[in-house]
Amino acid sequence: MSEFVEAVDIEVTVNGKTYQRSVEPRLLLVEFLREELGLTGTHIGCDTSYCGACTIHMNGAPVKSCTLFAVQADGQTLTTVEGLATDAGLHPLQKAFSEHHGLQCGYCTPGMLMSAKALLERNPNPSDKEIKKQIAGNVCRCTGYQNIIKSVHAAAAEMRES
Amino acid sequence: MTELKTVGKSIERVDIKAKVLGTAVYAADIKLPGMLHGKIVRCFEHAHAKVVHLDLSAAAAVPGVVKVLGPKDVTSKTYNQSVIDLMASKTEGAMLGDIEEQHIFTEHVKFWGDGIAGIIAVSEEVAERAAKLVRVEYEPLPVYITPEESGHPEAVQFTPHKPGNRAFQLPEEMFPGNALGWGDVDKAFEEADLVIEDTFYTPKQKQCQMEPNSYVALYDDSNRLNCWTSGQMPKLVHEKIARLFDLPMSRVTIHQTVVGGGFGARLGMVLEPEICAMALAVPGRPVKIQQPREEDWLTSPSRHPARYWMKIGFRKDGTPLAVDAKSVNFKGGYYLDGSALASTTGFWLQGMYKFENLRYKGESYFTNQPVCGAFRGYGNPQTNFVLEQMIERACVQLDLDPLEWRRKWHKETGDMSWLNATPYTSCALNDCLDRGAEVIGWAQKRKKYANQTGPKRRGIGVAVGNHTSGAFPMILEHTTCTVRLNEDASATVLVACSDMGQGAHTSLTQIAAETLGWPIEDVRLETGDSDANGFDIGAHASRTLYVGGAAIMKACQDARGQLLDRAARILKVNRDELDIDNKTIFVEGEPERSVSAVDICRTGIYNFIDHATGLPEGELGQIQAYVSYKPDQNSPPFFATFVELEVDTETGEVELLELVSSHDIGKAIHPAICEGQMEGGAQQGLGMVLTEEMYFDERGFAINNSFTDYKMLGASDMPKMTSILVENGDPYGPFGAKSVGEAGVVTPVGATANAIYQATGIQFTQGPITPEKILHEIRKRGLTYD
Repeated sequence: MSEFVEAVDIEVTVNGKTYQRSVEPRLLLVEFLREELGLTGTHIGCDTSYCGACTIHMNGAPVKSCTLFAVQADGQTLTTVEGLATDAGLHPLQKAFSEHHGLQCGYCTPGMLMSAKALLERNPNPSDKEIKKQIAGNVCRCTGYQNIIKSVHAAAAEMRES
Repeated sequence: MTELKTVGKSIERVDIKAKVLGTAVYAADIKLPGMLHGKIVRCFEHAHAKVVHLDLSAAAAVPGVVKVLGPKDVTSKTYNQSVIDLMASKTEGAMLGDIEEQHIFTEHVKFWGDGIAGIIAVSEEVAERAAKLVRVEYEPLPVYITPEESGHPEAVQFTPHKPGNRAFQLPEEMFPGNALGWGDVDKAFEEADLVIEDTFYTPKQKQCQMEPNSYVALYDDSNRLNCWTSGQMPKLVHEKIARLFDLPMSRVTIHQTVVGGGFGARLGMVLEPEICAMALAVPGRPVKIQQPREEDWLTSPSRHPARYWMKIGFRKDGTPLAVDAKSVNFKGGYYLDGSALASTTGFWLQGMYKFENLRYKGESYFTNQPVCGAFRGYGNPQTNFVLEQMIERACVQLDLDPLEWRRKWHKETGDMSWLNATPYTSCALNDCLDRGAEVIGWAQKRKKYANQTGPKRRGIGVAVGNHTSGAFPMILEHTTCTVRLNEDASATVLVACSDMGQGAHTSLTQIAAETLGWPIEDVRLETGDSDANGFDIGAHASRTLYVGGAAIMKACQDARGQLLDRAARILKVNRDELDIDNKTIFVEGEPERSVSAVDICRTGIYNFIDHATGLPEGELGQIQAYVSYKPDQNSPPFFATFVELEVDTETGEVELLELVSSHDIGKAIHPAICEGQMEGGAQQGLGMVLTEEMYFDERGFAINNSFTDYKMLGASDMPKMTSILVENGDPYGPFGAKSVGEAGVVTPVGATANAIYQATGIQFTQGPITPEKILHEIRKRGLTYD
């Protein structure tokens, strides 16, 4: 059948580890992370790149992994939620979301954390408005966003101090 | 009661670490060896049709397809995907007219996207490819969008059980005249100084829980049907699945995964029948269904849209003489909890104000739209939209202060509550109103916005409401709990209560720890698999903390009592002379006379013979307590919301400026979780009143079944929010607590509509109040700008 296309070899660095895989060109990056690499912290919420549950970093910039093909990540460096914590412990954003109740069901949280991380890396002291703008592409249906914004502020404060 | 150590504190949530690390396992994350993938073939050609011919042969021939299933390849038994019918007694269910008319795969398509067949294949792609090769011949039927259309005498019948396609009306046997209420409404209207009436429409709103429904099922080698799902009510689903497939309940397990939000969309079953039918077709092999959002949006039940007529009569001084109302729900293609919603919509009406006379009629008609069922609030936001706007209009016409009117005429402690069967147990609504009004600056702003000119106009509105804590006495309430003290005296609390993400497991752990007197680290809730624990209804009706919490508290009191009894025998004192601190049990006032709780627990298990005496070293038996608990109250929480907003009369856009909600919750077990419920509820309530509606074209095809086209409020759309917890303590709730889960969604609806009314002088009867509707009305009425 013509629908079957030959697999393509890709090399991707995810959370500091390099993977070589052979993937179908149709395979979405989010599926690659979840199914091939078992990194299920990156979630699928809407399938239309609207909700942001699948947000990861590609070369340091936030991207929605349901909108990219795995082959587009060839040669790139990715970070997912699983790459946030280190041996030293939780990332300040993970800590702040825990302490300030920045989540309920937790399904949007990985994407929310990755979007917030991108913001704090370029703007260590964001305003409410800047945080809201940054997470405009991340939907949360549980919290009303209030505690998410509080958590991002708290993480920013901790990151400024350290 | 001594000072509380855990209850009342916003401790770290028990599920937090896995959720921030990304390691929490949701249903979509489950992957089993040899797993197959299921795909449901849905009808996207028609919203109403008969399947005349179904040919699955081409699909079956696709390499990698393991099995194809048509209606005749699965059980012919019918079911009702909701679980509300299980919670009514047989007699009551018969009176209400509950039915089970759904088929796993249908031959009568009743909404766009109805499932007609199933494909099981080695991968999702193969299953999808095969699904496209299914050949179906349909006989198109007329599409009914409104109750008038489906209720027409010549309309095609959705089910022989419901003549005229009327899915429900309040039954004569229970509600004479097919109405609930009291007094003589018609007579009262004759005596009224002011009578107003209007017809409203409340939209079909989607829960949009962030996690789309996913399932894995496996009929395993010990002849046991396993289903991994993120449902809200695993125990009731367990029984439904066992019945549907004629299996003993001991051969079925519903494994509850982490739940990525529910809000009612997972009350009962969604695709559990389909996935289990697939698993039974391929014994020994797990099957997974991962639903895309577009399909989830169509197949999990939404809020019932309703046409809602209301007439109210007042004396000049504001005395509420009478209310007469009728809501007609657009039921969608199947019955589900058809009896309950049309009833509760009226219950919320009869529970709110001291109307001298009240009559409410509720009906539902089948329509060719996706099914409706539970959605946070369960009829309450609908009633709030209508009732609170009607009250507002009456106050304006009678020149009464709307806040003062509400203070004076809301029901309170001792008055009959929503079911008109039990009295309100506690009410601090006036505190809620006072504190909220002060925070938002009600008096000043209300005055300031009374006379405005120019294109941008501000308004401030208020609405009040109450809800319930659990479903008593309307339908079944029951939670069982077993508490086991381990060798080191730490406690395992076995209870089937669900955490939909709201934080229930954290609050319930706090209740257990506080009751036992143990630190939170020494208490763990064992929930999850449906056959690991005794019975619990599941998460609905804002019941988990109130009913589940009380059950846990009783079981923990019992376990603590057993421990104290043993200590009393050792210390040779009466049990009530003892106290516990830091797992040491001591005689009050004589701390040196003590025994370690750990020693008692350990000796109960490692029960050796003392060689010196030849007797056991201590009492034999692991300490374990069990309760089967049914509440006899429902302690409704009361609440008020204030909303301040600005309407751009040139574009129709509404900017939300501030929202203040205050809830009389009795006692906050975990204040941050309570506030989270209020704030998250507000996002959904504001969405219902301003932006959210599922749209369908005249063919019954969905127009906006994706997050891109269905407008939820984002972070930038939300107002500044303040949540006020009013804690006066309820005499019946655990530690004085009442519910907070559903309540948050209710009053933002009425308060927003009333704020728009103040800003524009216009009441919008058709929700949601979109910029288009605002502009249309402004242009029609010719707003002046000077």
